[in-house]
Amino acid sequence: MKFSSIVYIELFKIFRKPRTYIAFGAVSAIVGLIQLGFYADGDSYMQFGLQSFSDSFDIEGNLMNGYLMAYIILQLLLVHVPLLIALVAGDMISGEAAQGTLRVILTKPLSRANLILAKFTATSIYTITLLLWMAIWALGISMLVFGVDDMLILKSDQATQIISSDVLWRYVAAFLFACLAMITVAAMSFFLSIFAENSIGPIMATMSIIIVFTILNTLDLPIFSNLKPFLFTSHMLGWKGFFDVTVNENNEQIIGSIENLKAVMISAGILVIHIIAFLAASIWVFRKKDILS
Amino acid sequence: MLVNVQNLSKTFGQFKAVDDLTFSVQEGEVYGFLGQNGAGKSTTIRMVLSLIKPSGGSIEIFGKTMSNCRREILSNVGAVVEKPDLYKYLSGYENLSLFARMSGKNISRQAVNDCLELVGLSGRSSDPVRVYSQGMKQRLGIAVALVHDPSLIILDEPTNGLDPQGIADIRNLIHLLSKERKKTVIVSSHLLSEIEQVADSMLIIHKGRKVVEGRVNDLLNPNQVTLEVITSDNDKAVGLLQESAWSAGIKPSPFQKIVIEIASADVPVLTKYLVDREIGVSGLRSMNSLEAYFLSITSGNEV
Repeated sequence: MKFSSIVYIELFKIFRKPRTYIAFGAVSAIVGLIQLGFYADGDSYMQFGLQSFSDSFDIEGNLMNGYLMAYIILQLLLVHVPLLIALVAGDMISGEAAQGTLRVILTKPLSRANLILAKFTATSIYTITLLLWMAIWALGISMLVFGVDDMLILKSDQATQIISSDVLWRYVAAFLFACLAMITVAAMSFFLSIFAENSIGPIMATMSIIIVFTILNTLDLPIFSNLKPFLFTSHMLGWKGFFDVTVNENNEQIIGSIENLKAVMISAGILVIHIIAFLAASIWVFRKKDILS
Repeated sequence: MLVNVQNLSKTFGQFKAVDDLTFSVQEGEVYGFLGQNGAGKSTTIRMVLSLIKPSGGSIEIFGKTMSNCRREILSNVGAVVEKPDLYKYLSGYENLSLFARMSGKNISRQAVNDCLELVGLSGRSSDPVRVYSQGMKQRLGIAVALVHDPSLIILDEPTNGLDPQGIADIRNLIHLLSKERKKTVIVSSHLLSEIEQVADSMLIIHKGRKVVEGRVNDLLNPNQVTLEVITSDNDKAVGLLQESAWSAGIKPSPFQKIVIEIASADVPVLTKYLVDREIGVSGLRSMNSLEAYFLSITSGNEV
């Protein structure tokens, strides 16, 4: 049987399941609420954010624009999206085991490795579709509602201005990176689902691991310092690197520049290694697994 | 020989679920696989279908081993293992189309509809499976096993949870598959009466081990019966029977019954013998020797 046919079957099952659309609904609702809030009260938010700069700089233009809105939304949401990813990825094997269909599938002439690869491919397609949906809402709708201008990113000790013509490609790159980060979460959740016979376990385990790793990241204790570079959660927010620009000696932004491209690439590499490791482990475990469900 | 299982065993920790099991299934026959719940039937079937890895032994189907030719073998096998679990959020037609596609064969829309027709679901094929009755799910499960026109069909407890009409339908379907379509069918059950009615050969398995295997007609000896007798005074009746020529046939029984193995022709003679000695006979149940044997196993009172 062709690999593409198995992927088609898996996608058909994912998108016919009502729970799949919970994630799309949740993203639409949350993004819509944030946009509504900023549309109603965005100016006071900007005034508060700029109070330390307003004495030294004369800031003009549409600061609360679609680009900044998308950045704020992504910062808020990408921490919570793993739950929505785990909702489907954690169900891929365990859900089939729970309803007994796994044994029906495995009486068909499919290789177990191909089945895992096809299910993972379908999970990744779902993840990318969800992020595309998020991109349409967070960026597309924000650009329509709030307009487009230069993007001002406020940080604790600095403000970065990116001219509007240099922003869009950074969002494309950031979304591609976010896809990589979320596929890593999907791969972990998928791996955990092989061991369970209901989907609650893998979903809870995925979220627990992410929470524990995130806490380890925020703790500035020497004992964890050597561990941090290897935790995938340390690299999940690497997409922000695309919005750090390089400036020339006149303190002017260099168009198309990324301040620390190497760090972004290393983060991407570590995420890819995690994906491959989780996928290889999934195939290895599943090929040996007795189907008792 | 279509299926050849040699010295098959499976251990879960310390528990031996299947122990040194050997049997073979000939092409075109209906092979009954009989044993009480937990005897090891489903574990064996799962090993035959490569859902579980055996701890020892070998399985050959169509003259090929599962370890080398799994996909080739499974493309010609259809199975329902334990319950017919399907996607409840999809319709009967969608479920069948999906599994037909997984079989790797090019199965037309017409073939899917024909299969639904065969199991009597063509009128309900667009309903979601979640509204199906147990019998309808069972029939759809069988359709999933048949849709790619396999040579070997394995049905694990296919009548579980069905009403008498549903059981009769499944029995007729097995007859149709075997006699008209020349399929080889392995059917498991914990009920001898079911196996007896459909199988050409059978195997009784108990605690993972083979108890008996052979042609059903040979195993069900019609000249010898085991009689279950209920009398007005069982103690006195047993005493009288022990003094008679039938004393060697008296079997231990865990219930308040007399169980005795005798020639079929002796049944009225024995009844008259008891009545003549003022023992009222209120119940008589004749079983063939295999049924008695199977009952003795299932009641934990091996003979």
